[in-house]
Amino acid sequence: MIRHKKDLDRKIQKYIDGLFSDVGESQELFDLKEELTTNIKEKVMDFKKRDMTEDEALKEAIISIGDLSGLVNDMRERGRDAAKKSVYSSMTARISAAGVIAGVLLVLFGMFVSAMLYFMKAIPGIAVAGPSIFIICGVILLTYSILIRETKKKFGMNKIRSGLYALSAGLILFSLYAGLTARLATGEMYVAISSSMIFVIVGIGLWLGLLLTGNDRKKSQ
Amino acid sequence: MGGKISTDLIRGHTVTIILNILRHGDSYGYDIYKQIIALSDQQYELKEATLYTAFRRMEKEGYITSYWGDETQGGRRKYYRITDEGEELYQQNREDWGFAKEILEKLIKGGFGHDKA
Repeated sequence: MIRHKKDLDRKIQKYIDGLFSDVGESQELFDLKEELTTNIKEKVMDFKKRDMTEDEALKEAIISIGDLSGLVNDMRERGRDAAKKSVYSSMTARISAAGVIAGVLLVLFGMFVSAMLYFMKAIPGIAVAGPSIFIICGVILLTYSILIRETKKKFGMNKIRSGLYALSAGLILFSLYAGLTARLATGEMYVAISSSMIFVIVGIGLWLGLLLTGNDRKKSQ
Repeated sequence: MGGKISTDLIRGHTVTIILNILRHGDSYGYDIYKQIIALSDQQYELKEATLYTAFRRMEKEGYITSYWGDETQGGRRKYYRITDEGEELYQQNREDWGFAKEILEKLIKGGFGHDKA
């Protein structure tokens, strides 16, 4: 008897799976399949009470459900959305992870090379400042990668906006770099100020603009 | 089964019929299907395919909610419960039906008294 029941389960399962065979997986599809299976099984049991064989009962139950194509289409659309979403977010997550790693490595590389040159007494100051350009690139990459990342509490920022934030961080840092190298190269403070000025102004302007326009990325709940 | 109800006629009332069943207690797909047959004195069968499609739409629109039963044998049942919005919609539809029925009766059967033989 138990073997018999398992047999019916398998037949219903097979029918349902066939019905949704070309539909992408989603939580909703999973739930709908279970709902349909339970209900069909109960109907088959009822038919069997009217002296039908199990196969007849199953056939009758399936026919009497009616046209399920609307439901299948609905599920197909759901599955497509779910697939697109997971591909998209996992791609972003991967880009973000790679960006964070590369950013940290660049910053470290810049710091180490600068430190190394600093302790090589024969090297002039200007050469010591040089490798800090790697630090700037690293920070730009880090800023971008962290902002596009989706966390439990916040949605990822859109890519253009993240890019602009990264650009403004880069400009502000670059202004320091430009000022420092100009100072070290010429020994004149006014040259340093004039060469960093334009980058600071553009960088801060961009940053303020972004800060004042953004929308809330906090997730509700 | 004497007459029949056209799909066109019943379509606009599927939601109200389901809500009416659920007003009398939570229920699941096959049971709702059987209750509709019983309510019509075995005169009318609402196809299960129509029911499942309606459940999904009604749940999305907030007229019903669902939960899984805790049956241990033969698979879990998905139960539906009417919400306050659903109850409100039911009352509104019921009122509209009363009005429509009266007017349609007049329009389909009525006359001005001069066409009788």
